[in-house]
Parts: sequence; C-alpha cells; structure tokens
Amino acid sequence: MNTRWLKSIFTLELRQIITYRADFWINFLGNISINFVLAYFLWKSIYTAKAVESMNGFSMNDIILYYIVAPQLFKIQQGSGIGNISREIYEGGLTKYILYPIDYYLYKIVVYLAHSTFYILQLFMVLFLYWVVLGQDHVLNFTPLQFLCFIFSLYFIALLYFAMSSTCELIAFWADNIWSLGVILRFSVSFLGGALIPLSFFPTWAQTLLYKTPFPYLITFPMNTLMKEFHFSEYLSNLGIIILWCIAFLLLSKLVWIKGKYKYTGVGI
Amino acid sequence: MIEVKNLSKNFKVHKKQEGLKGSIKSLFKREYITKEAVKNLNLTIQEGEIIGLIGANGAGKTTLTKMLSGIIHPSSGSISILGFDPWKRENAYRSQMSLIMGQKAQLWWDLPAMDGYLLLKEIYQIPNDEFKKRVKFLSESLGIDKELNVQVRRLSLGERMKVELIAALLHNPKVVFLDEPTIGLDLTAQKAVRNFIKNYRKEFKPIMILTSHYMEDIEELCERVVIMKEGQFIFDGNIKEIQNKYAQNKMIKLQTNTMIDPNEFPMELGEVRIINQHEQIVYSPRDKAMQAASYLLKHYDILDLTIQEEEIGDLIEKIMNKGNA
Repeated sequence: MNTRWLKSIFTLELRQIITYRADFWINFLGNISINFVLAYFLWKSIYTAKAVESMNGFSMNDIILYYIVAPQLFKIQQGSGIGNISREIYEGGLTKYILYPIDYYLYKIVVYLAHSTFYILQLFMVLFLYWVVLGQDHVLNFTPLQFLCFIFSLYFIALLYFAMSSTCELIAFWADNIWSLGVILRFSVSFLGGALIPLSFFPTWAQTLLYKTPFPYLITFPMNTLMKEFHFSEYLSNLGIIILWCIAFLLLSKLVWIKGKYKYTGVGI
Repeated sequence: MIEVKNLSKNFKVHKKQEGLKGSIKSLFKREYITKEAVKNLNLTIQEGEIIGLIGANGAGKTTLTKMLSGIIHPSSGSISILGFDPWKRENAYRSQMSLIMGQKAQLWWDLPAMDGYLLLKEIYQIPNDEFKKRVKFLSESLGIDKELNVQVRRLSLGERMKVELIAALLHNPKVVFLDEPTIGLDLTAQKAVRNFIKNYRKEFKPIMILTSHYMEDIEELCERVVIMKEGQFIFDGNIKEIQNKYAQNKMIKLQTNTMIDPNEFPMELGEVRIINQHEQIVYSPRDKAMQAASYLLKHYDILDLTIQEEEIGDLIEKIMNKGNA
C-alpha cells in the first residue's frame, strides 16, 4: 500500500494552517490567553468567596489547570472542525476526493490529525503559561512517562471524536443540513465528557452510567492521566476501551458510507 | 475504450410547495417526484477519440459525465471504461482518468499550485524524474511556468484554469473528461486553453469527452459530436455530417453601401438577416446560392460578397430545437 501520500497530506494541511500569519498567531495565542484569564479570575473569586482549600478533590490551581486544559482537549478532538464532511457532501466538494485513487476516509483522518497536532502544540503553550503564572510546583506533578502517555492518548481521543462525528456527518447523504446534529454531539461531549463540569462533580450513579458511553474517555480520561495519580495498567485498559470505541464507530461510519454513497449527486459541476 | 449500454439515471427530487404554509407542511410530509435525467443511453468511444457532448442546460450531459467518472451511481445499465466499471472506483481506474471541472477548483486554494502538484505526485505515485518532466512540459505548453509558486487564489481565472489543467494531466491519464474547460475565460485565454488541449491530444492521444457551451471549443477540438436533449442522444456522428445532413442553406455574407430591404428580396432566393446598415447575411437554399449571389450583385451596390457554409453552432442549435434528428 502506498502510504507516502498520507505524509504529504499531513504536511500540506499543516502548511495550510500556518499560511495566514495574523490568523495563526491570533488563533495560537489569543484563544489560550482568553481561556487562561477567564479561568484564573473566575475560580480565584469562587475559592476566595467560599474560603475553601479544595472542592471535590480539586485545589484552586488544579481547577484552573483543568479549565485551561479541558477546552484545549476539546479543540484537539475537534481537529479540522465540525461540518466539513457534511458540507462536502451537500456542496459537492466530495467529488474531488472520489476522483483520486485514495481512500477518502483515510484522507480525512490525516487532515483531522494534522489540525489536532497544531492544537497539541498549542497545549504546550497553555501548560507553559500556567507554569509561568502559577509556579512550577503544580505542572511538575506529573512524571515524564505520564506526560508522554497523556500526549499519546490525545491522538486516540481525536480519532474517536472523528469516528463519532463523521458517522453523524455522513447522514448528509440523506438530509441536506445536519448542522444541528453536529452541535448536539459537540454539546454532549462537552457536558457528558466533563469539559463543562468535571465528572467528579456528578453523582456517583451518573458517573457509573457515563462510563458505559464513550464520552468520559474524550475529556475526563486524558485529564485524569495528566492530573491524577498515574497507573500504567489502568491507562492501558482505558486506552483499549477507546480503541474499541474507535473501531465500533469507524465500522458504523463505513456502513453509513457504503449506503450513503448511492445518494450522492455531486452537485456543483 | 468506453462502452455504455442502456444507461439510465433517475433522481428522486423533493417537490417543495410554495409559501410558508407549504414549508410548514413539508416538515411533516413531503412529496417526491422522479426526474429522469438520462434515459437508456448507448455509446461507444474508441481509444484516442475525442467527442463533444453538447446540449442545453438540463439535457443530461453532466449527469452522464458524473456516471462515467464514477461520481454517481447509474439507476440502470452498464458502463465499461478501459475494462473497469467506474462506480467500483478501483484505484487502477482512477489512476488512469481525470476530470477537469471548469466551475470547480481541485487545487488547494490557499497554497501555490506546486504544493498541490507535489501531493498529486504522491497520490498518483509519479516517479520524481517523470514528475519534473511533466510539470515542465505542461507548464511551458500553457505558458504558466512562472506562476506555479503563487497562491492559487491569487491567480487570474485564466491562470487558474491552466494550473488546474496541469493538475489533471500530471499523471498522464488515458481518459479525460473536460467539463466546460473554457467557461468564464476571456477570448485569449479560451484560445490558449483550446490550443493546448488540441496539441496535448495530438501528442498523448487520450480518450477525451468534452462538454462545452462554446461552439468554438466543439468545432476546433472534436471530430465527433453527441447532442443530448432531455436525457437522450438526438445526434451522434461526425461534425462534418451535421453540415452535409442539416445544412439546407448557404450563407452569403455581404458588405454593402446601402442596406438591403428584406421585403424586397425574392423569397425563393433566400432570407435576409440584417447585421447592421452595411453588413447583411442572406441564407439561401444550397441550389439557389449562385443565383442569389448574381441577383445581389446585379441589384445592389455590393462592396464585398462571400459564400459560406452555415455555422456549425447554428446547425446544432437547429437540431437541438428540432428534437430527434
């Protein structure tokens, strides 16, 4: 199998991301600064008002770290953004890829992961900012192995989110506009995955139930890998569950693709 | 070789009722109509042949092109191109075909064309030397070698079409679908693209299927023409055959000092069409053309007179308006 094109697509996409200098720097530094300032002042005032040292096992610095890293994880998962595949279906952009002797799905995964890589680099900046502002002690709580495992898991959570969102987006073969479906998925991941509120704030029964779904693996699992006590075997078993979810959703999307491609009309030419 | 047998394509289209009431109703219940875009087509195209596929908007040309290139699935019938069924989208087929869409860019908008070519090199597995040779040959032939490192979105429409042509031909395809390759281009750019296609075909001899609304494209590039109307072929033959079979008149082009009054001109000798005060055209039956010319020279102050065959474009328009030929 020829795989050199995968590398070319990956680098081509990275080149596209950095084409526009102003946009690149605004996106790279602007977003993280806003997130950081918001999380810092919001949680500082909450902890000061409540006069407590910790809430649900989170110290103030922990919760700030959580709220600046979680949105970044969300971006890493979102890769090249929602709506790309569905837009290509109903605007006819898919035609271009059908003509090339490549696997469209594989192409999209590589493009997606290129964007995720960009956001992973941004995550380093987030952690650096945290380290500079709040002091070295907090970030250095994780070991190098823990950090490597954390970064490694990010590609799997991006792949899982891609598999889930692409399955939804392929419904565009039947329904012209599925934007709202993408928004529901996005909100579900954000809320049920723990990006809005850490899952440890949820009742125990809800946490048990949620762990039967893929959502907690998208935010809470990588956050715990970074912030909680690290056990390699537990990490591996969670990663295994993510891989199983990935396989299940990729198979489902393949099935939807096989059925849906008969509906494609290739508008626009 | 391309072989199409009993090919049909139907689309199920949502029939939207007008007004707010109709929109609300369609939220609960929808009516669908089946539109027959292509009906029972049979076509054979030999290796190295170029055909012009023409017809009015909605005639089914693009639907046929989409089925031939494997973009959409036929409702019934079969297609065999170089021994492949395009719908199966086998890499071996896709590596040997190309579709050039005049209205849709294939290259990456924000990057220079060369970056896109480098990716296509990997996709089509073109060896390094071969790739360099092809890019050099194609870009020099199109006179665009200096623009390959400019962002695609910053190129003019004509330049963009040229870089798209290079992208589509890099892998030396055996089958090329050209869908409106000169659309929107100025006359100079149209001519450059036409000349390029003509020379390219002479040298590499791919099967080419050209869809265009510009008759100059068809006349200059195609020996064979297939005319479509309402999803069916109404003419399939040599372009010269159109002239022999359908040209009932000859055109007498005139430059005059005084305008010819169409009502005064003998009806049996032809029909006068006024271009302007000093230019007129007389459409005269083929066997009366000489007689009409003598009459004109005798009765009017003629500065110049030429007798020509009717324009192919006009004849094709006649066939399309008439229906089944």
